Amino acid sequence: MVSEQEYREVEAFIFKEARYADESAYDDWEALWEDDAKYWVPTSPDADTEVDISHIFDNRSRIATRIRQLKSGFRHSQTPCSPMRRIISNIEISPLNEHEYEVAANFMLMELAVQSTRDMNLWGGAINYRLRRVEGELRLFYKKIMLVDADEPIANLAFLI
Amino acid sequence: MTGRPKATAYENLIFKEKVHGSLYTDPAIFQEEMDTIFHKGWVFVGHTSEVPNIGDFSRRFIGRQPIIITRDRDDNVNLLLNRCSHRGNLLCTRASGNASTFTCPYHGWSFGLDGGMRGMPMKVAMGDAFKPSEMGLAKVPRVGIHRGFIFASLAKDGMSFDDYLGDAKVLLDRAADLSPEGEITISAGWLKHRFKANWKMLPENNTDGYHVGSTHLSMLLATGVANSGAFNEEMGDPSVIRDWGGGHTELDFAPRYRESGRPFQWFGGTRPEKLPNYVAAMEAAYGKQETAKRFVDGPPHAIIFPNLFLAELNITYFYPVSPNEVIQYYTPLLLKGAPEMNKRAIRQTEGAMGPGSFLLPEDAAMAERNQLGLEAQYPEWLDLRRGLDREAVDAENGLLTSAVSDETTNRAFWRHYLTLMSEAKSAS
Repeated sequence: MVSEQEYREVEAFIFKEARYADESAYDDWEALWEDDAKYWVPTSPDADTEVDISHIFDNRSRIATRIRQLKSGFRHSQTPCSPMRRIISNIEISPLNEHEYEVAANFMLMELAVQSTRDMNLWGGAINYRLRRVEGELRLFYKKIMLVDADEPIANLAFLI
Repeated sequence: MTGRPKATAYENLIFKEKVHGSLYTDPAIFQEEMDTIFHKGWVFVGHTSEVPNIGDFSRRFIGRQPIIITRDRDDNVNLLLNRCSHRGNLLCTRASGNASTFTCPYHGWSFGLDGGMRGMPMKVAMGDAFKPSEMGLAKVPRVGIHRGFIFASLAKDGMSFDDYLGDAKVLLDRAADLSPEGEITISAGWLKHRFKANWKMLPENNTDGYHVGSTHLSMLLATGVANSGAFNEEMGDPSVIRDWGGGHTELDFAPRYRESGRPFQWFGGTRPEKLPNYVAAMEAAYGKQETAKRFVDGPPHAIIFPNLFLAELNITYFYPVSPNEVIQYYTPLLLKGAPEMNKRAIRQTEGAMGPGSFLLPEDAAMAERNQLGLEAQYPEWLDLRRGLDREAVDAENGLLTSAVSDETTNRAFWRHYLTLMSEAKSAS
C-alpha cells in the first residue's frame, strides 16, 4: 500500500510524463529518465528480450539517440510532430521497495498522422512504469507499453508513446 | 488461364527512363498484378526454421490468399490453403503454434498437418460419392526451398523454381554462409508495419541508394555519420548496385568495406574480440582466409523479386492489401551456431527496422506521401533516368552494374515486371 500523499505524487508524475509525450516536449521528457532506463514496446505480453524482437527496446543511450533524431529537424515521420492526446487511467500503484514504485495503468492515445496520411490513429494498451525517488524527486527508470495490437500491422510509431 | 482477361497495355506505361503514375493507383492494374505476379508467379513465404518441429505451423499469405505452413509427421514442410474444404471457413486463426490436426469450428471437419481429411461428424448423409480422401485442404502446387528459404507458386505449371531464382540464389547463400553451420534461423518474431502506399514502392525503395542521404538524414545526424560519404559516390563511396535479372536487385556495400578491410562494418563495427566463439566456429568451418573475407564483405542487401528483402542481418517481406496499402514484415536474420551474434542482431533490427525504429518510419512516410502525390495526375510520369548513361555490364560477372545512387535497380524491377505482365496479357 502507498499513502494518499504518495499516490497523488506518483499520479502527478505519470500525468506529467504523458503531457510531455503528448506535446513532443522532447528535452523535458528525456530529463525524466534515469541512467538505467528501459523504454520498451514488446510485441507480446510474454516477450523475452533475450530472444524476441520488440518494436522499441531502448536503453538510456538509445533514448538519447531517439531524441537527437526527433530534434534533428529531419525526422520526416514526425515533421511536423503528430498532434496527440492520451488518457491514462486504471492506475494501480505499489511499492517495489523503500525508494521505488511500480505503476500499472491503461491508456488510450489519439494521434493524428499529419506527416503523411492524416489518419487519426487510435493507440491503446497497458503501461507499466517503475519510478525511483532520487534526492526527493521521482524519476523514471522503466516504461513498458503493451499495445493491444502490438502483434498486428501498425502505423508509424515514431512519436513518444 | 484463370482470372479475367488482361486489359492493360503495359508496354505503353513502362519505359526504361520513366513509368506511368497509374501503375501505383489503378485498381484494375492491382488486380492484374495479384493474378499474375502473386497468385501465379513465385513469391517468398517463409523459412523452414519457423516450423522446426513436427506439428509446428505458421500462418502466411500468398498475395491475398491465406495459407498455413506446416511440418507434418513425416517431417515434410507443407503449404496448405487456409480454407475448410466444406464451406470455406478460415480454418486456422492462430498466427503460429503446434497442433496435431486443424478442426473447423463451423461443422467440425478436421484435417491433418499434411492437409488430408481426418474426420467429420455424421458422415452418413453425405452420399455414396463422398470420399474423405478427396476432401483434403487445397495444397500450394509448387514449393521451392533454397537454404531453408521457402518460395511458392500457386500455378501448377510455369517457370521452374531454379529459373525463377536464377543467379540470385548466391544472395541467399551469402546470408546462410555467415553461419558456421551454414543455416540461418528465423525465431525472434515478426514486426508488422502498415504502409498506406502501393506495394511496388517497397522493392523500388529497398535497393535505392539515392534516397538515403535525404530520407534518412535524421538517422545519419543522430548517429553522427552524416558526413561519412556513405551512399554518395561523389564523396567517394565505391559501393555499387546490381541487376541480377529476373527482377532481383542488389545494393552491394562490400567495395566500401574492403577499402579499410575492417570486419563487421555491417554490424556496427563490432570488434571480433567481442565475438570469440563465433569467430572460432567460422574459422573452424571455413578456414581463416575465407572467414576473414566473409566478415569484411558481410551479408547481402538485396531483393528477391517480388517480396523478399534481405537487408543485411534483417529479413523483410510484404503482402499487398490494395492499390493503396501494403503490410511489411521484419525479423532479425539469426545465424545458427552463433549465439553471440544473435542477441546483438535483435537489438540491431529494433534500431533499424519496424514502425518504431530509426529508419523505416521515414520510408513509410515517404511511400505514403508518394501515394498521396500520385493523386495528382500530372506530370504523368515518374522519372527513372538516373545513371542510365553510365551503367554498364560488369565483365567479371556479366551483371548490369552502376554507382550506388543510380536507378539501375528500379529499371531492373520494372523491366521484369513488364515482361511478366505482358506475357500474362498475351496468354489471356
